Amino acid sequence: MISWWQSLTFARRSGAILLALIVLAALFGPAMATDPVSQNLDRVLRSPSLEQPLGTDHLGRSMLARLVHALQLSFSLALLSVLSAAAIGISLGLLAAWRGGVIEAVLTSIADAVMTLPVLLVVLLFSAFAQGEFWSLYVGLSFALWVEYFRVSRATIKATLVSAPVESARMLGFGNLYLLRRHLLPELAPVVGTLMLFGISTAILALAALGFVGVGLRPPTPELGVMMIELFPYYEEAPWLIASPVVTLGLIMLALALLGGRKEMP
Amino acid sequence: MSAPELKVQDLAVKDGKGNWLVQPCNFTLKPGVALSIIGGSGSGKSLLVHAIMGSLAPGLRASGEIRLGNAASRAEDAAGRRPWWGHTLAMLPQEPWLALNPSMRAGKQVAESYRYVSHARMDMAQARAKARSDLDQLGVAAADGKYPFMLSGGIAQRVAFAATRAGGAQVVIVDEPTKGLDADARDNLLTVLQSVLQNGGSVLTITHDMHVAQVLGGDIMVMRDSNVLEQGPAQQVLENPQHEYTRALLAADPEHWPPATPGQGTGKTILQARGLGKRYGAHTLFSGVDLEIHAGERIAISGPSGAGKTTLGNMLLGLVPPDQGSITIAPGLNPLKLQKLYQDPVSAFAPRLTLKQAFDDIIRLHKLSPATLPRLLARLKLDEALLRRLPSQVSGGELQRLALARILLLSPALIFADEPTSRLDPISQQETMDLLLEMAAANETAVLLVTHDRMLAGRTMHRQIAIQHA
Amino acid sequence: MLNIISRLLFRRCLQAVIVALLVSTVSFFLMHSLSGDLAFRIAAGRYGYDMVTAAAAEAVRAELGLDRPLLQGLLLWWQQLLQFDLGDSYLTSAPVIDEIREQFGHTLQLALSALALSIAIALPVGLVTGLNPHGWLDRVSLALSIILRAFPPFLLGILLILLLSSKLGITNAANASHEHGGLLLPALTLALGLAAVSSRVARDAMVEVRRSAYFNFARTKGLSDLLALLRHGIRNAAVPVIAYLGVQLVFLMEGVIIIESLFAWPGIGHALAHAVFGRDIPMIQGTAIVMGLLFVLCNTLVDIACLVADPRQRYLVTRRADA
Repeated sequence: MISWWQSLTFARRSGAILLALIVLAALFGPAMATDPVSQNLDRVLRSPSLEQPLGTDHLGRSMLARLVHALQLSFSLALLSVLSAAAIGISLGLLAAWRGGVIEAVLTSIADAVMTLPVLLVVLLFSAFAQGEFWSLYVGLSFALWVEYFRVSRATIKATLVSAPVESARMLGFGNLYLLRRHLLPELAPVVGTLMLFGISTAILALAALGFVGVGLRPPTPELGVMMIELFPYYEEAPWLIASPVVTLGLIMLALALLGGRKEMP
Repeated sequence: MSAPELKVQDLAVKDGKGNWLVQPCNFTLKPGVALSIIGGSGSGKSLLVHAIMGSLAPGLRASGEIRLGNAASRAEDAAGRRPWWGHTLAMLPQEPWLALNPSMRAGKQVAESYRYVSHARMDMAQARAKARSDLDQLGVAAADGKYPFMLSGGIAQRVAFAATRAGGAQVVIVDEPTKGLDADARDNLLTVLQSVLQNGGSVLTITHDMHVAQVLGGDIMVMRDSNVLEQGPAQQVLENPQHEYTRALLAADPEHWPPATPGQGTGKTILQARGLGKRYGAHTLFSGVDLEIHAGERIAISGPSGAGKTTLGNMLLGLVPPDQGSITIAPGLNPLKLQKLYQDPVSAFAPRLTLKQAFDDIIRLHKLSPATLPRLLARLKLDEALLRRLPSQVSGGELQRLALARILLLSPALIFADEPTSRLDPISQQETMDLLLEMAAANETAVLLVTHDRMLAGRTMHRQIAIQHA
Repeated sequence: MLNIISRLLFRRCLQAVIVALLVSTVSFFLMHSLSGDLAFRIAAGRYGYDMVTAAAAEAVRAELGLDRPLLQGLLLWWQQLLQFDLGDSYLTSAPVIDEIREQFGHTLQLALSALALSIAIALPVGLVTGLNPHGWLDRVSLALSIILRAFPPFLLGILLILLLSSKLGITNAANASHEHGGLLLPALTLALGLAAVSSRVARDAMVEVRRSAYFNFARTKGLSDLLALLRHGIRNAAVPVIAYLGVQLVFLMEGVIIIESLFAWPGIGHALAHAVFGRDIPMIQGTAIVMGLLFVLCNTLVDIACLVADPRQRYLVTRRADA
């Protein structure tokens, strides 16, 4: 762990620290904050104060409470979809690389086709099944994201299976389980790790984008995109209100991009 | 027209922190005479020629003086030597395969030197014609319209040579010219360099290959750890080396090894092959290979590059199925007794696993006594502390010996060694080969060696089988 | 070369068919899962809310093929698609194909402007920073690129609207998102996001080439820096940049969906979001298929451009085909 930390560049360390802070807020914030949907029309559009550090919105709801709840929501959905996508993608990748033949051909052409569709488009399609519902977004995101893991794990495993280390391990008498544990998974882990960082940022972003366009989660759910569209009309009167979801989303993206290193993110 | 004299005075290189990378040195390169700088990697020989050219990496500083004919330049003033490039001073880079532009046809890369560099001021059509005739003279006319990645290393090198010379330079610096070339390509290149010398040009070669220095003659300079250890006429240095390191280098050249006794093995038969053949698509690699390997026998597989030497070895180990013929392993012999040493030892280990883990896994899998390993490592002159590292953190020579230790744990009956020392410097090569043969002899293990070095094969193996393109 | 391209085209065509069937299948199941509500709404649209009877809704169900067994319905649905019949919009009753034709032009205009603008920004920046890596301009462009990458198109769009609303004389910022106010702002938003990455790709490609053995050989052969750059630098550096265009198209597609909605640009992305909101299944299917196919088409063009620029790829592809 320590040597891992030391191996990171300055940019990646800053990303890790920033992300840790945001995740902490998402984990423990909601338990400490007040109710994010309780309205109080006596204190609408308040500027930040000691009592309400981020002010109150047009319905007098606490911005801080809404923000930490939104964070928790975004991260849970993103993590859930990314983990499901990775589990499905890697298993299918393993299956395709190890078995080859028809299974591989079919899976590869489906994956190729899904890759063709932008993530947002796939999520939009699925969100139509049950608008404003958590589950349809989750299914859509997982369906859009699994292909990345499939493609990468299939290619990595195929290359590793014919590599000299695996050839020599087989000659030394090692079996398939050993190859999986010592050769394939260690090769896969760093690539999958990077993919997961990108996946989380894609998922958080897609959720916010759909919320903003009005086809994602619905008010009064505290969600970053929903908050942005709700607060958009109050920009002139209370610019700090819309600033907080916008800046928060920007910081999440920045943290993930920094931590992900110099891999190009589309 | 003979070359101008290249005179180097007090030439030295330091890095940004002021450490010496090349200690001050002096030499003169006369027209028609070769100078070979010999040394292992990290000796500073490559930096020395880059300092002469004025092409050092940023951050490195050269000092001293360089004279070429009547022109003189301070070593610091790299830009001052830029006008010499191509016209009077040229450098044939190492690994010509990478030095040619991958997206331009070979002929054009030669022609552009005539068109843009040479003082003859030709138009493109004349330049293309000149380039074609140059390539023809070098025996690689067919390369003209091809892209570099379609060429073999030896041919790419001759194309790069033509491009280097086309600007008219008579002083040629050659950087590690034999790296990655097989014996035929190496001899071809030496012929080309000799013709430069005969025509009054001069050649400065950097190499770790004693053979190159011997053929080119002239002067020799031996370097190690940024120092020039000795310099003098080739004959004197080769026959009467003054420095201990030079002697070790010379002794490491397979040519100076004691020859192995030729003969046919008489021990127990390990493996029998009849009429082996292999095709790739419509192209036949080899066919009709018969072979019988006995315990304790040493056999070299020789043949031109691309003939399928490695494929044949892999076939005998059961890694590649034969297209024709059959292989019979001695009854009762466990396939685990057939093992392989790889050309690149790094590629034989799982890259993210410490060596300790890799060895422990084998000991556990085959229920070996944990005491075997330290004893084996000691015999192979390996420090146990190395095991804490990853494969990529160990030097090539040590890792190849670790790979040897790993297969010796299984007490193999046959070791297929696929160019096991071609990436090692001469001294590590000798050390590794000695240990391999010593251990094989002690255990009656047969050795099957693939190498492109005929001398090495002749000095270490009992017999050779040659495979030819069908 | 022709042989390689025809093979490539075949593969891409196959991919296009799979994409179309995939989207269409999802749409079909979407229709089934919404069937009750759907039939009622269509009937209501036809006869007025007061006049809808169970019988009328049932008639609509039959018309949509919702009463058939699932598999038979799906095959019928596919058959329609393969006859290039995308159906009529539930909302406007106009043929989907006509609606899309209208919107497509707008989207193309936006995407091409964004792409052109991004190239106009990225290429000079990439070239200059690539020729002077680690200079101050390189550092500034790196920092800007990281920050811009943290602001995906719709965040950037919001920021631009917020920042520029007073300058552009829009009194109420919210208006900007509902009345489309020119091409510049949406195109600029997309272009900045694209350029943030492609300028770095171009820079890295340039640095890579300048560090390469062949570039240094070109110089020691005696070519001037300019000649070495022109003859050995540009083309080799172009290959990764062109290849990266393929990746950028995804970004552009996603950007288009959001940016069009944000700036109320009447293109296909806006129509898609609208259709999802209104559960207009033929429009959802039509727009999604067109976007998918457009993407396949663009990627095909990128592949061909790469083959033209990089002889190595041509060679490898031929070799692989022979083996």
